[in-house]
Amino acid sequence: MSIALQSYITTLLVYLGVNTIACWALNLQFGVGGVMNFAFILFQSIGAYITAVLTLPQAQSGTYETYILGLHLPWPLPLVGATVAGGLLALLVGAFALRPARRDFQATVMLVVSIIAETLVVTQQGWFNGASGLYSIPQPFASALNLSPTAYSWFFAGLVLVVSLLVYLFVDRITGSPWGRRLRAMRDNPEAVESLGTKVSVESLKLYVIGGAIAALSGGLLVEFIGAWSPAAWTTGETFIYFVAVIVGGLANNFGAFFGAFLVLGVFLEVPQYLPNFSYTNTESAIQSALIGVLILVFLWWRPKGIVPERRRRLSKLAMSTASAAAAREAGTSAAAGSARDPLSAELVRNHRRVPRGVVRDAAADPDLAIAVRDVAREFGGVQAVDGVTFDVPRGQATGLIGPNGAGKSTALKLIAGALKPTRGQILVDGVDVAGWPASRIAQLGVIRTFQHTSEFAQLTVLENLVVAAPGQPGDSLGGALLGRRHSRARQHELLAEAWELLEQFDLTKHADTYAGELSGGQRRLVEIMRALMAKPSILLLDEPMAGVNPTLRLTIEEHLQRLRDGGLTMLMVEHELGAIERVCDSVVVMAQGRLLATGSMEELRSNEEVVSAYLVG
Amino acid sequence: MPTSSAESASKGHLLVTGLSAGYGGTPIIEDIDLEVRSGEVATIVGPNGAGKSTLVKALIGVIRPFTGRIELDGDNLAGLRADQICRRSVGYVPQVRDTFPRLSVKENLEMGGFTLSRNLCRQRVDEVLELYPKLAQMADRQGGHLSGGERKMLAVARALMTRPSLVVLDEPTAGLAPKVADELLSEQVTALAKRGVSVLMVEQRAREALSISDHAFVMASGRVVLRDRAATILARPDIGEVFLGRTAGLVN
Amino acid sequence: MHQIILSIGFGIVTASILSMGAVGFTLQFGVTNLFNLAFGDVMTIAAFVAYVVHNDAGASIWLALAAGGAAGMLSSVLIARLIYLPFMQRGTSQFAMVMVTVAVSIVFNNVLQIFSGTGFYGYALLPQASVHILGMVFTPRELVIIALAVVCMAGLHLLFKYTRIGKAMRATSDDASLARTCGIPTNRVTNFAWLASGLLCGLAGVALAMDLGTFSATTGGSFLLVIVAAAVFGSVGEPYGAMVGALVIGVASELAAVISPDLKDVVAFGLLVVVLLVRPEGLRSGRVQIRGEVTR
Repeated sequence: MSIALQSYITTLLVYLGVNTIACWALNLQFGVGGVMNFAFILFQSIGAYITAVLTLPQAQSGTYETYILGLHLPWPLPLVGATVAGGLLALLVGAFALRPARRDFQATVMLVVSIIAETLVVTQQGWFNGASGLYSIPQPFASALNLSPTAYSWFFAGLVLVVSLLVYLFVDRITGSPWGRRLRAMRDNPEAVESLGTKVSVESLKLYVIGGAIAALSGGLLVEFIGAWSPAAWTTGETFIYFVAVIVGGLANNFGAFFGAFLVLGVFLEVPQYLPNFSYTNTESAIQSALIGVLILVFLWWRPKGIVPERRRRLSKLAMSTASAAAAREAGTSAAAGSARDPLSAELVRNHRRVPRGVVRDAAADPDLAIAVRDVAREFGGVQAVDGVTFDVPRGQATGLIGPNGAGKSTALKLIAGALKPTRGQILVDGVDVAGWPASRIAQLGVIRTFQHTSEFAQLTVLENLVVAAPGQPGDSLGGALLGRRHSRARQHELLAEAWELLEQFDLTKHADTYAGELSGGQRRLVEIMRALMAKPSILLLDEPMAGVNPTLRLTIEEHLQRLRDGGLTMLMVEHELGAIERVCDSVVVMAQGRLLATGSMEELRSNEEVVSAYLVG
Repeated sequence: MPTSSAESASKGHLLVTGLSAGYGGTPIIEDIDLEVRSGEVATIVGPNGAGKSTLVKALIGVIRPFTGRIELDGDNLAGLRADQICRRSVGYVPQVRDTFPRLSVKENLEMGGFTLSRNLCRQRVDEVLELYPKLAQMADRQGGHLSGGERKMLAVARALMTRPSLVVLDEPTAGLAPKVADELLSEQVTALAKRGVSVLMVEQRAREALSISDHAFVMASGRVVLRDRAATILARPDIGEVFLGRTAGLVN
Repeated sequence: MHQIILSIGFGIVTASILSMGAVGFTLQFGVTNLFNLAFGDVMTIAAFVAYVVHNDAGASIWLALAAGGAAGMLSSVLIARLIYLPFMQRGTSQFAMVMVTVAVSIVFNNVLQIFSGTGFYGYALLPQASVHILGMVFTPRELVIIALAVVCMAGLHLLFKYTRIGKAMRATSDDASLARTCGIPTNRVTNFAWLASGLLCGLAGVALAMDLGTFSATTGGSFLLVIVAAAVFGSVGEPYGAMVGALVIGVASELAAVISPDLKDVVAFGLLVVVLLVRPEGLRSGRVQIRGEVTR
C-alpha cells in the first residue's frame, strides 16, 4: 500500500471513530431522550481545548501563543480531564437551558449559549489563544514509540477503535437498560413520565451531562490526532451536521448513529476536506457539499426514520414464556390452596411503594379516607375553574366525579394529581397535604392518573408501555443501567410476565409488539389504564377513560373498572357517560361551574332537582 | 338584516339523509337523518360523547362524511371543503375558538365576508354593525379582548356577513355565564330566525335551547334517538334521563 | 458620550437591515409554522443577484436592490412550493422540517460557492460624503437603507391593516382552521406570505451586503442567527415584535461594540437568553388567552 493510501485509510478510520462517538452522544441525548442539544458542538470543542491545554506544556511568555493551564499531563489524563470538563459544562449549561418546559426554547437557549461561547473563546485570547487556536499539540506516545508517521497513524486508529468500543459498551448499557426505556418514554411524552413518578428535568440533566462528557471525549481524541484546534472547527453549522448524521442514520439506534457518522461525516463531508493528496479544488468540494445537501433531502424523503430505524423491541415471546412459566409455578404452589391468581385482584394492585423521603404520614388521619379535598380553588386568568371545592374519596371505593361541561372536573383531577397547582386549599392524600407538590412526587405516593387525551408512549411497544410504568425496577437509574442486563434481568422477566397477564386480561396480546402510537383510540385508552395498573397505584385517578372509545370497548373498560373496584382499589373517575359511572362507582360527586353541587349515589342524584337542572341548563 | 321575505321563504331548507362520519375510518355518528325547514330553529341535544360536534364538523365540511347526503335547497354539500360550503350560503359559529383573537371586531367581520366583493363586503360590515350596535361601539377592539358573550355575538354577526340561508351554531353557550347564555339564545338566535335564516344548533343547555326551538333532535351514542317538536320533547318528564345516562326509555 | 451617540447611529443602520430580515423570517413562521433556516442563504442569493445586475450589467445600485428583492421573492416561493410544502403535506414533524431547511441551506450555500468560490465580493460604489444628523454620522446610502426599512415596515403595516390579503394573512396566522371555515383560501394566503417575506429577505440581503462593504457565499447564513435572535426576542410569528426585537438588538449590539467590537454578538444573544428564561413566550406575546378554553 502506498503511504498516501495508508494515510487516507487511517485518517478516515480515526475520523469515523471520533464522529461515531460524537453521534452516540448526540443520539443518547436527542434520539433516546428527546433533548434537542443545539449546543452539541460546544461540548466536543471544550473536550478538544481541555485535552490540548492539559497536554501542552506551560505557555511560553513572549510567544504569541497564550493559554490557560498547560499542565503537560501524561496520557490518558488529558482525555479524562476533558471528559470531566465536558460533563461539568453540561451540568452548568443544562441547569438553566433545560429550565423552560418547551423543547424548542431549550434548543434556542442552547444554540445561543454555543454562539456566545464561540465568541468568548475568540475574544478571550488568554484562554485558548483566541481565533488562531491551539496547535503543535503533542500526540500521545509519539516520542516513546518513535514510529514512522504512517505507522503512528495506524497505532492511533487502533487507539480510537479501543476507545470507541468502550464508549459503545457504555451507551449500549444505557440504551438497553430499563433506564434507557424510561428515557425513550420521556422523549415520547414527558408529562406522562412525570405522572408515573419520575422527575423529567432531573433525568434530562443526567442525560445532558453524560452526552456532554462523551462529546468532550470525542473532541479530545480528535485534537490528539490532528494536533490543532481552533474556533473555525466548531461553528454552529457543525452541530446541525451532527444532527443530520444521527437522523439520516436512524434515531435511537446506536448502529444507526454509526451509519450516520460513516455516511454523512465520514464519506460525504470529511473525505473531500481532509485529503489534500486528492487535489480537490474548492469548486469540487462545493459541488460535493451541495450534493450532501441533496442527499440529506433525499434521505429525509425516502427514509424519514433513517437508514437503520429505531429497533422495535419485540418482547412478546419472552413475555409469553415467562408468563406461562410463572403460571406453571403458581399452579404448583396454589394447587393446594385451590385458588387461581387474578392479576386484577387486590393482591396485584396493593401498594408496593416506599413513602418518599421526608414525608411523614399523619398517624391521626382517618385511615378510611384516601383523598380529602379541602376548599381547593384554582383560577385561570380571572376565571375560577375550581372554586372552593371540598369532597372525600373513601379508601377502597370507586368515586365518580361528574358535572356538565366546564364544571371544573378535569381541573380538579389535575389538581389532585399535581399537574396543576391549586391557588388555595388542601389536598390530603393519606393525611399528607400534597397541595403544590410536583406531579412526580405525588405519583410516588401511589396516586396514578390517566389522561383525558391519550398519552401513550407512541414509539414504545405496548409491552414496553406497560413495563416502563413499574416503579423501583433495578436498572431504572443511571447507576443501575451501568450494572448491565444481568443486574436487572430477573425483575424484568417478572414484570414482562405481569404485563403479559394484564394484556391477556384486556385481550390485547396480539398487539404486544405494536407501537402504541399505531393503535386505535380505544386501544390506546386500554394501554393507558394497564400502564397505570403496572404503576401499582394505591389511588387511581381516571380522566374520562371512555372518551372517544367505541361502545363495545367501553363495556370492556367498564368491566375492568368494576373488577378493580371489587378488588379494593381506590378510584376517582371523571366521566361523561353516566351509565358507566352508575355501574362502576359507589358514590358520586357532582360539580357545576367550579363548585360542588351534591354528593350521593347516582340514584339519589337523579331525584335531586338541582343536579338535573344543572345538567339541563349546562 | 333586511332580507326580502319572498326570497327567504323558499331558502334554507336543510335535508340530511343517512349521514355517517368519524375519524380515521371509525364512524362516530351513523345514519343520521335531519331536516330543518326554512326559517326554523332546530336544536340537537344529547349527552357528551353523543357525536354532536362530529355531526357539525361533517355538516360544515371540516371532516368529510363517509356516506350520506347533505342537501341545502336541493344542492348536495356532502364532500365539499369548508371554504366551498361557506360559499354555498351556510354560516357557521364555532364552539370555543370562535373569533380571530388578534384581529379587531371590524376585521373579524371582514373575514366573514371574505368571499364577497370588496364593496359588498364593506357595505355588509356597515349593515351588520347597524344590526349589532354593541359591536359597532367596539369596532376597533381586538377579538381576544372581548368577553365571552361579546365574542359569541361577534361570531354570530360574522356568520351573517354572507347572508346565509342556514346558520349552524356549535354549542353557542359553552363557557358563557348563565345570564349571558340566556340572552344569547332568547335574543340573538331567535332574531336570526325572525330574519328568515334557518338555524341548526347543537346545545348543552337543553331546556333553554328547546324553549326557543321549533324542532329538536336528541342524540345518543352517535345516533338520533328522538325527533319531535321541541315543545313536545321539553314536556316529556323523562327528558332529564337521557342526560343522566338512561336512554332506553327514549328510543322510539 | 459622543461615541455612544455615534454607536446609536450605527445601531439604527443595523436595526434597519435586521428588521427587514427578522420580520420576513417571523412572517414565514407565523403563517406557515416553519422555522426556515435557509432564510440567510436566500439573502445571499439576493446579494449576488444584485452584484451581477450592478457590477456586471452596470445598472444602478437601486435597480440592483430591486432585482435582489425580486430574486428573494422568486427563490422563497420556489423553495416553499417545490420542497417545503411536499414535505409538510407528508406530515413531516416540525423538527424534521428544521432539518429539511438545514439541508436546503447547505445546498444553496454550496451552489453559490460553486459560482463564487470562497472569495469576497463588493459592490462597486463610489465613496460618499457623510451626513451628520443629531451627532450621528451616516452615508447617504445608509440613509437610503434606513428609509427603505421604514418604508417596508410602514408598507407592511398598511398591508396588515388595510388590505384584504394582509388581514387574511393575520387571520390565517391566528387560526388557520377558522380562516378556512370563513371561506379564506389559506393556500393562496400562504403563497402570498412567501412572496412578501421573500421580498423582505431579498432586500435585507442586498442591504446587508452594501452595509458590510464585502460579502461572500456565507454572509447571509452567518447573519441569520442575529435575525433569529431578533425574531425570537419579539416572540416568533409576531411581526411587530420582530421590529422591536430588531431595534433593541441592533442598537444594543452596536453600543456593546463601543466597549469591544467582539461583544456585539454576545450582547445580542445574551439579551435573547435573558428574554427566553424570563418570558419564554418572547417579549411581545400577543396570544390572548381565550376564556372558554380555560374554564374546563
